[in-house]
Amino acid sequence: MSTAFYWSVAGTAAGLILIGLWGVLTRKHILRIALAFTLADTGANLLLVWSGYLPGRTAPIVDGNIPASEVTSAVVDPLPQAMVLTSIVIGVAVAALFVVVGVLASRRIGSADVRRMKELKW
Amino acid sequence: MIRTLGSLIILLALGAVAAAVIPDLQMHEELQETGYAYASRGMDDTGSSNLVTAVIVAYRGLDTLGEVVVLFCASTAVVLILTLYPIGLKASEPSRIVAFTAKILPAPILLFGVYFIAHSHISPGGGFPGGTVIASAFLLVMLGSSSVPDGRGRLPAIESLAGLSFGLLGFWGIMTVGQFLNNAFLGTGTPGTLVSAGLIPLISIAIGAKVASEFSGVFKAFRNTGGKI
Repeated sequence: MSTAFYWSVAGTAAGLILIGLWGVLTRKHILRIALAFTLADTGANLLLVWSGYLPGRTAPIVDGNIPASEVTSAVVDPLPQAMVLTSIVIGVAVAALFVVVGVLASRRIGSADVRRMKELKW
Repeated sequence: MIRTLGSLIILLALGAVAAAVIPDLQMHEELQETGYAYASRGMDDTGSSNLVTAVIVAYRGLDTLGEVVVLFCASTAVVLILTLYPIGLKASEPSRIVAFTAKILPAPILLFGVYFIAHSHISPGGGFPGGTVIASAFLLVMLGSSSVPDGRGRLPAIESLAGLSFGLLGFWGIMTVGQFLNNAFLGTGTPGTLVSAGLIPLISIAIGAKVASEFSGVFKAFRNTGGKI
């Protein structure tokens, strides 16, 4: 992976987070806000995985292609990947909850437009 | 207008912060301290070829137990809300393509999910992705049928049993070597073989069953939003 590609992944991750936040802040439809939220979630996960990358290395799985004595110089950091796995699962759970509450609120009000959800304003 | 402008200002500020911070994360050439410890000792400690699984299930097993609890809370909340406040949408007739696909694909998907879970310590995979794959097979079955699942079923029993067995597997370590979720007391075996890595495959099966039943329950609740039949 070249240096340019390495940094473009970081840029993509930051871009995804920003696009997701843009969607959360400006969209009106509650399901679009949920979608934008998961987009930002994906960007954060990508940034975490990216931070564990090491040049010229392979996935942290010790199989026949990696001698057991050279594991530490052959694999990328397993810790961010483990964290991201946790993060993805929690992200799915939060998104499901988000959609349910959103659908319920839109049914109650008769519209999915967040501007009409006056009960949530203070 | 003001809202859009305000959002734009917030995003520009955040983008400036990201542009300032991310280039400081220079590319490392070597593993950092924690990652080095996991990579150098992971396979000897746990017998798992997949170091990510070793971190998730063995080293940070307690965190994974907490994560399973978080997932349980979220899925319970989803099912509870959809049961108490039925949205009132009726399931529609599936298209012919979906109906046909739902007849042939679920079996291979199920097999793939079981493979994912059973080989979590050897190859990429694990209880969480495998469970999700299995749940997607059930989702496909639901989408391919115009009927709505009724309230009966054994999903809650499977879910509870899987969560309980995760905890009991942890206590098994306390009973034998005095350490919660100890992995090595069963013997780590030969790394790379199916029966190896001590407790990791058993915990993966428990996680897989739990995740599969939880997500299937959530899909079922979404499908069954018309209330009582």
